[in-house]
Amino acid sequence: MENSACATDVLVVGGGHAGIEAVLAASRVGCSVVLVTLSIGRIGEMSCNPAIGGIAKGTLVREIDALGGSMGVVADKTRLQFRMLNTRKGPAVWGPRVQSDAARYALEQREVLRAHGIRVVEDEAISLEGPTEEIIGVTCRRTGMIRCRAVVLAMGTFLGGRLFMGTERWRGGRTGDIASERLEADLRQRLFHVERFKTGTPPRIARGSIDEAALTVQESGSDDFCFAFGGSGCRGRSERFHQTSTNVGTRDAALRHISKSPLLTGMIGGKGPRYCPSFEDKVMRFPDRTSHNIYVEPMGFGSRLLYLNGLSTSLPREAQLEMVRSLPGFGNARISEFGYAVEYSSLHHSEISPSLRLRRGTNLFAAGQICGTSGYEEAAALGLLAGLNAARTVQGLERMHPDRMRSYLGVMVEDITSGGSTEPYRLFSSRAENRLHIRQDNAERRMLQVATEMGLLEGEKLETAEQRQTQADMARQAILSGSCGGVPARVLCRRPEVTAEQLLEVLPGLSGIERAILDSVILDERYEGYIHRGERRMEARRRAGDVSLAGIVSYLGVKELCWEAREALERVRPRTLAEAERVPGVRPSDVEGLLLHLASGRSTWNTGDGSSGSRA
Amino acid sequence: MPPEPDIICAPATPEGAGALGVIRVSGAGSCGMVEGLLSLETGRLSGMRRKVALLMDGERPVDRVVAISWPAGRSYTGEEMVELTCHGVPSILATIMELLQDRGARKAAPGEFTRRALASGTLTPLDVLALARILGGEGGGEELAGRLRESCRRLLEDVRSCSSALEGDMEFGDPNPDAGIGDAAAALEAAGRSAAALKEVADRLEGVGRVVIMGPVNSGKSTLFNLLAGADALVSPEPGTTRDGASRTVTIHGRRLMLCDSAGTGGDGLDRAASIAAVSSIGPYDRVVWMSPCGAEPVPDGIRHASLEVIEVAGRSDLVSEARGGALRVSSLTGEGIEALKERIASAPGSASVSGLAERATHGIRMTSESLRSGDFPLAAVHLREIEDAVTAILDEGKSMTLSIERALESLCVGK
Repeated sequence: MENSACATDVLVVGGGHAGIEAVLAASRVGCSVVLVTLSIGRIGEMSCNPAIGGIAKGTLVREIDALGGSMGVVADKTRLQFRMLNTRKGPAVWGPRVQSDAARYALEQREVLRAHGIRVVEDEAISLEGPTEEIIGVTCRRTGMIRCRAVVLAMGTFLGGRLFMGTERWRGGRTGDIASERLEADLRQRLFHVERFKTGTPPRIARGSIDEAALTVQESGSDDFCFAFGGSGCRGRSERFHQTSTNVGTRDAALRHISKSPLLTGMIGGKGPRYCPSFEDKVMRFPDRTSHNIYVEPMGFGSRLLYLNGLSTSLPREAQLEMVRSLPGFGNARISEFGYAVEYSSLHHSEISPSLRLRRGTNLFAAGQICGTSGYEEAAALGLLAGLNAARTVQGLERMHPDRMRSYLGVMVEDITSGGSTEPYRLFSSRAENRLHIRQDNAERRMLQVATEMGLLEGEKLETAEQRQTQADMARQAILSGSCGGVPARVLCRRPEVTAEQLLEVLPGLSGIERAILDSVILDERYEGYIHRGERRMEARRRAGDVSLAGIVSYLGVKELCWEAREALERVRPRTLAEAERVPGVRPSDVEGLLLHLASGRSTWNTGDGSSGSRA
Repeated sequence: MPPEPDIICAPATPEGAGALGVIRVSGAGSCGMVEGLLSLETGRLSGMRRKVALLMDGERPVDRVVAISWPAGRSYTGEEMVELTCHGVPSILATIMELLQDRGARKAAPGEFTRRALASGTLTPLDVLALARILGGEGGGEELAGRLRESCRRLLEDVRSCSSALEGDMEFGDPNPDAGIGDAAAALEAAGRSAAALKEVADRLEGVGRVVIMGPVNSGKSTLFNLLAGADALVSPEPGTTRDGASRTVTIHGRRLMLCDSAGTGGDGLDRAASIAAVSSIGPYDRVVWMSPCGAEPVPDGIRHASLEVIEVAGRSDLVSEARGGALRVSSLTGEGIEALKERIASAPGSASVSGLAERATHGIRMTSESLRSGDFPLAAVHLREIEDAVTAILDEGKSMTLSIERALESLCVGK
């Protein structure tokens, strides 16, 4: 049954963080759009931690904002607390992080969609129509077929989702939601290679049932910061955040029930994230550690629910209750929602191209957890890119391929599409070779050119962006042409102790420029030399990529590599150095170690065995 | 790397009479050549073979020799090779050399066999250094090369541990402003100790690098030499008296160097000859301090191309206020600039030798430490990365070791 009233350019399946950005981006660049979601009421819902940002993730949010996306603006509007992480560790790893009012966040996102006139269809997408090479529409259970010229799949953890808690199992994407099983079946039928991943969530506690006095207060950072460049006007309300830690009692409670942990007993086949492990994971891996940090976060302003960050678990209810009650101040805690694990399907990396187009098709795109990533920020950024590229495909324009030397978006897309992960992908600052350049403070300048070329910025947002760029250019000019006491200002910038104030005193041309912009331009100058060297090194490595690894019998004995790399390479067995580079767990210095090993492998004089080894 | 077309040959045993003499022949076709020389059937020497045969020069018997052959890929040079062992009589050796050359072989240049071994990968640059050491008679060379490699690897490990600790701290460590540096500091200290150990080993293996003071006549070179060497050299108020130059092994800011004075350029007669000799003696591992009064005289191209580095010095700075751009202003009279010059000579960034690596590592560790202290962890990570790259490059044969190797190869005699 075809609903001919419903035809559109770009159809997005899924109303999560990826879907929202996708549908907004496609609309911004001029396509007609439809968003299909299982539940309008749950658009933009934060299924896990009610926070946006962090180290590297926070920078990604600023890139999203610089590309005209919604996440940063809405996070600013609904924030309860802001902290800049790593302020003493260097500007290239500063991580802006905002605790949000989860309910208001979702509401605001729905409001954004409404304000942009986005057509939302509340229904279950059950199959794609047409040959995979050219999808002609999407069929929904009640609405029938909606014709479209491109599709973005952004279903998150719903795809074939199964939930686990102790010995309980049930189908779903989140508690209370139904999983889109039929769509997964359709994708499998079209021969998409699918992997199973898992992720977990902690219990939610009833706020009135704990003794806050027993907890350590977490101080908020300054009020000045906004994800949105140029500020977004609205300030949220502030809330109280606390911190506590687990103890021997917590650990023992977990151990007593460990045999019933689906994450550990193999009931869940999916691979979990190494860096966001469940509490039972941590206990098994670090048995001697008696204390782990737990952050206590209200789900919203005045919310009755507290989120326990760090206590993700799939243990049975009794275990969860014991663990929670072992925390100081939680002796009488009531659990409103128990923690659980979700196993879901995601596409194999080989299915996805660097523009997020699915390789088997010409007009099918994917974004978010379905690409194997974890985290709202990662999903939103991918959604923006997928929506943009779907729109450009419809318009017959060349798609955007972000560069890993210019943005975390670029780093992430290249990582997930070339090497794949053995676990859900999470963004870390160390994944970026050009980390000194890819900072949270200069995201607007890094993305401006592509944002304007692609038409992603409009109206006031575009004006603000251009004005700020002008200021930055002026600042840079003043620094390049100025000097103080015979020392060029450019050189002064390299000294870590030199501040904007000091420069303002000697370079009158700098007055009138917004302080944040000036600070950022100074950092660009400070790191310029290192950035150039890094880029040259990257170039050299790209050229060296074709070296063959055929001669290596076993990576386990290659001393020039660290253990993680050895195991990873042994498992994957790449054919060339370029392929080895993309294997997860292999760092740039391991690549050079491989080169070194190949060279020394030709040394037969010392070993005397006469074999000529691998003449790569 | 394409194989050398020539077949080379040379005696491998020292000049003079001895019980045995060995002549090595290397190159594609050398087995066939020796088969012809010894009138053996074709293929008799292919593979790893041994044959005792009578060597004839036309009708005259020369000697009974043992020919041992290696196929390509399994020999010292990596090429097809034959070793001929004969009685250690100089005339016999000379005859065999003649006969080989008659058949098209070429007499090998000093160190050429080892050069080919290096090119084919059977020897690493570290091995060559060690070989030169052994053959140069200073002894303990082979042990040192092993130690050098060990020191490099240990440094690499320590730097990598520090890197890991740092990355872990940036990503998962306490994000609060009052968080400390933690494990990374301890790891960095360990790396610092490894770098110091490497420097010690490298310096001993490298020997001593030359710093030659050159410049037009009477520009004050000898006075400068004095100041830098901290001792008396021959300086006479009469111009043109330092003819032969002087050299001393000096220590400047902890770095041991061979400091050489030289006759000035631009003179005539004996001066001219001496200065030409000095200029032509400049090698690719020498650094030149080009001293001219007030920086007036530019560095000759020949010197710039031949040397590793030229440090331009404008002497007699007490006489003028401005120096030519880039040159260090120095006055032997007032002492101005001498300290800066010493720093420059001692620090030698960018040197491509092994001890240069050790210095870069030490410098890198210092920079890392500074970055950590000023609270810039990603920048510290970049510095660590650069050390890692430098050490990996050195262990990856062929790149920064080039200059040390050239020197070592030249020091070997013919037949090695």
